[in-house]
Amino acid sequence: MNVRFLLILSLLLASCSSLPEIRPSADVTGKMSACPSPFVVQKTRFIHAIEAAMAGETRAVMIGVTVADPAARTLSCALLSPEGLVFFEASRTSIGTQISRALPPFDKVDVARGLMDDIELIFFEPPEAIDRAGVLDTGQAVCRRRLHNGGWLDIGKAPDGRILIQRYSKGGRLQRCVALAAGANPYAAIDLQAFEWTGYSLSMTLIESEAVPDEKILGK
Amino acid sequence: MRAKAVRPLSILLLLFFMALPAAGADDFDRLRRDASRISSLSADFVQKKSMKILSKPLVSTGKFFYAAPDSIRWEYVKPIRSIVISDRGTTKRYIASGGKMIEDKTGGAQAMKIVLDEVAGWMKGKFTANPTFAASVREGPETLIVLTPKGKNMAGLIEKIEITVSRKDAVVKTVRIVEGAAAETRIDFSHTVVNPVLPPAVFQDLP
Repeated sequence: MNVRFLLILSLLLASCSSLPEIRPSADVTGKMSACPSPFVVQKTRFIHAIEAAMAGETRAVMIGVTVADPAARTLSCALLSPEGLVFFEASRTSIGTQISRALPPFDKVDVARGLMDDIELIFFEPPEAIDRAGVLDTGQAVCRRRLHNGGWLDIGKAPDGRILIQRYSKGGRLQRCVALAAGANPYAAIDLQAFEWTGYSLSMTLIESEAVPDEKILGK
Repeated sequence: MRAKAVRPLSILLLLFFMALPAAGADDFDRLRRDASRISSLSADFVQKKSMKILSKPLVSTGKFFYAAPDSIRWEYVKPIRSIVISDRGTTKRYIASGGKMIEDKTGGAQAMKIVLDEVAGWMKGKFTANPTFAASVREGPETLIVLTPKGKNMAGLIEKIEITVSRKDAVVKTVRIVEGAAAETRIDFSHTVVNPVLPPAVFQDLP
């Protein structure tokens, strides 16, 4: 029984662990302009309502504040309960990640780092150049980058107009899938799926956003 | 000679300070007496959260209901709907998910119970009950109660809590929770109705 279970599990994992092949397409191949680039282009503050779920069950509803500066590649973020309790506050610069407040479960280094990685994945264009472009077996146009850590990142457009960002491990296992809203503001609605042993999903709905001139910070 | 001149002045000063009302104790007794006339209360509230990461305060609005001795409904309407109901020692928290309200099964309700128990105490004029805080009172056009953490276990979380109470009817008008130099939460209550008739369902059901 256990052997059969392990066999099925292995087959399931194997089916998820291959990087999808990209076929050349006259529409996309060689036309890097066809690659979607939804990422922030100027320093912007976003406030989102965030619904976090594990195993398909909503576990928490939060308010997320993110200040993303693409030029400096710096991030600041805070997570609050609807009642205003701040349970996570951190910033990331080229020097590293600085956590100024972290209540459980964000007090675990891996969780905090994973959260900042997710935010970076959502808001910043990867620094790596596009490796190849084409279409998947599904017909979806996609542009692929080889990440500096050996992994892969696909950015493409879903048939419903949403922009999909998919990050794969070095071995080709899908780790993250981000879907950004179709239309003028891709950050109006964000869905993130994390495919880990303790998989989770984040569903983010924009409350407000604004461009941030430098030094426009409360209390400064 | 000089000693003789000083002595009457000392006695005069002593008598003067003895004539002043005992700062604090009497005021807290008065607050408790005045608050005992409140058996129920309803109000709207506006919460403004200020943080270094924000350019302007994050504004939340909602409704507050209280029935003596310790039933509270604390309902946020915007930007995210959430409801915390505390009644007969049980606290439940509901969060918006997929267009409907679901019960929060994580520890969020228990964290809010601590807060609501404290708020229920304030509604009864009990500002000195929590041993975690030292309470002081300042009289002015409104009564200002300042709660300051006694120990270091609140360090980095709460610097002080300021509660403004109406001198007219002992109703809490504002709560200001100062977390640090650049972070605070201010809650202003408005449209307050003292002793309205609140159906029990307010503290039991979701709309």
